[in-house]
Amino acid sequence: MRVVHYVNQFFAGLGGEDAAGSGPDSREGAVGPGRRLDQLLGDDHQVVATVWCGDDYATGEGAVDAVLELVRRYEPDAVVAGPAFTSGRYGLACARVAAAAVAAGIPAVAAMHPDNPGLDEAGAAPVVASGDAARQMGPSLDTLAAAVRTLVEGTPLTAEHGRIGAVPRLGRLADDSAAERAVALVLARLGGDRDATEVPLPRFDSVTPAAPVDDPSQVTVALLTEGGLVPDANPGSLESARATRWLRYPLPGGDGFAAGEWRSVHGGFSTVPANADPNRIVALDVARELEREGAIGGLFGEYFVTTGNGTSVANARRFGIEWAADLRRSGARAAILTST
Amino acid sequence: MDQRPGVTRLVHTVREVALGDRTGFDAGVLTVSAEEAAALVSSPALAAVRLAWVSPGDSARIVKVLDAVEPRSKGPGGGAIFPGLLGPVEGAGTGPTHVLRGAAVVVAGHLPRAQEAVVDMSGPAAPLSPLGATHNLVVEFDPAEGAAWEDVDEALRRGALALAARLAEAAVDAPPDSVEELPPAGDANGAGGLPRVGAVTNLQTQGTFKDVFVLGKSFTGAPPAFLDANLLDDGAVVSGQYGHPSLKNPTYVHQNHPVVAALRARHGRDLSFAGLVISPEPVNQGQKEDMSSEVARLCADAGWDAAVVTKEGGGNADADMALKMDALEDLGLTAVGLFAEMAGADGTGPSVIVPPERATAMVSTGNYDERLTLPAVEVALGGAELALLGVPATAEMELPAAVVYCSLSPLGWGRLTCG
Repeated sequence: MRVVHYVNQFFAGLGGEDAAGSGPDSREGAVGPGRRLDQLLGDDHQVVATVWCGDDYATGEGAVDAVLELVRRYEPDAVVAGPAFTSGRYGLACARVAAAAVAAGIPAVAAMHPDNPGLDEAGAAPVVASGDAARQMGPSLDTLAAAVRTLVEGTPLTAEHGRIGAVPRLGRLADDSAAERAVALVLARLGGDRDATEVPLPRFDSVTPAAPVDDPSQVTVALLTEGGLVPDANPGSLESARATRWLRYPLPGGDGFAAGEWRSVHGGFSTVPANADPNRIVALDVARELEREGAIGGLFGEYFVTTGNGTSVANARRFGIEWAADLRRSGARAAILTST
Repeated sequence: MDQRPGVTRLVHTVREVALGDRTGFDAGVLTVSAEEAAALVSSPALAAVRLAWVSPGDSARIVKVLDAVEPRSKGPGGGAIFPGLLGPVEGAGTGPTHVLRGAAVVVAGHLPRAQEAVVDMSGPAAPLSPLGATHNLVVEFDPAEGAAWEDVDEALRRGALALAARLAEAAVDAPPDSVEELPPAGDANGAGGLPRVGAVTNLQTQGTFKDVFVLGKSFTGAPPAFLDANLLDDGAVVSGQYGHPSLKNPTYVHQNHPVVAALRARHGRDLSFAGLVISPEPVNQGQKEDMSSEVARLCADAGWDAAVVTKEGGGNADADMALKMDALEDLGLTAVGLFAEMAGADGTGPSVIVPPERATAMVSTGNYDERLTLPAVEVALGGAELALLGVPATAEMELPAAVVYCSLSPLGWGRLTCG
């Protein structure tokens, strides 16, 4: 079987953070950790090519499509991504490449640590556990290689194979009706099985707030919102619900957002008061005062916006990762995210 | 102790259907006079009524499906069928009831607040809907000019019930294909040491076009109450709820309440069927909490050991489920709930909007967001297009399961699950 391996710029040998903006590229054969992976896969399977991309570039729009196009050139029977350990951007890229491959009909698996924030981005693609850092490359590749061999046999990966993350909740027909199964579940519970259920309780993230900024007068502050505030013509076509994208616009000069020039496209509440004073969605008027008073070092020149209305958790998580990476590069050290 | 017998279902299986000069039932063939049927549905609120049959396996689709009703009759003279709306309450829920199994009267067309629902008679969506397996007499309509929508809705409801009763009356002299005896209310036969398990059924009550009628009255604003499950068979619960295509409970499914049926099937063997409690689903959080406390108290006072809890609709209806299940567990009852999952098209999102905290036994009725591709069909009834997608009603279409009528049946009709 033909296997294509996805890695980031570091494991492709291009460099660390200095090369994180590198675009997608590829070469035939195994590179870096792929060489050991190729050995572990045995004689029946070969790593026929390695595709890579810089971690920053990989989180941008269209990057995954470009990676997948390179992957397809090698006509793979399976795609392997990682291991990404606890590296957030790399984990996100591995998860999204694997998800895109599966969506395109190519079996794929990614590897990362269970704490990697990319884990929930894998869509219908399976993810297997890796260690937390590259010093655990050996055992991580053992798990991954075994998972690849199982995958190409057509066997679904389970926890026995090291699978982590949520198994997609996709429909299938059971033998009995839901009502009959409910009665059977009552009897199982009455019989003492306290855990029996068909629906695992959902796992909600618990987010630990960042530590307070020591001296706000020294930092650049960014304004962010999920309130759907855009220029009146909505030039970026931001969705009113179930957003799949976020946009960035320069903050206007002066004392705030002028009514009539900006509007909220949010579909989850009456936007009449927001449009009468857009500063109530993004408090630019107050932020400009703080800037003048020197209470904050300055305002980041653009605000980021999406619509938080029925937006999938996967998209919301991706926006968060992308915003954090963008702001870190830009030098902003604090952000005010307004929620509606 | 109540000595009334339960309902005796005299089941007539419909094997073939036709339109003809006169309405009749003979050797499994149900013939309907379209003229007589249209006259039964006619009303000053309706300018026109059209009737057509579609059958399982047909290259046919029904769009904008509203309510569906199984033809039933109490026998010659009508009697207490659809009590409170068509017949009297006296005599309902006891004695013989003729059932035309395998047929349904289906109303289809536009009403305000109704969300477009689709039934396919063949292809991948057919097995997901109870109406994919029945011969459906589809009632299409044009509202009268100037008629209030509320009057159109009421005319359609009364018309569909009258038509369903008339079709079943055609079979009252035919020998039944089978006879099913239902235990009377409060029957303790076989109770012994068996656990007492009942059904808690939430009914969506959000006003006109999103309402449910019990013994002819809107259930909006009513307190939770016990209802003799035998009354369901005679049509005591009638749907006027047209939101949430996949998550609605039409009259047809109330008449054949799947949880009640599943409990009865194990009555006297593994459990004792303890009865049915119905509860409104109010939209206000405080009222949801009050309803939940009251339902739990009713069930506990009646000595139940466990309850199967069901809902109608999506989103905030999950909160009614979670609150009731937790309230039941807090009083020492085991609660199992039927939930439709909303996990996104790829199945990876958090799937239950308001999960219970202490009661954790859940049955999945499928993923609301999963997509299906329905093939093009030769015939479509109910409307010329599916406005949701802006495509002709006969076209090939890709839809989420959410649009397929009763595909995630909250009352547990279907076999879909997840994982």
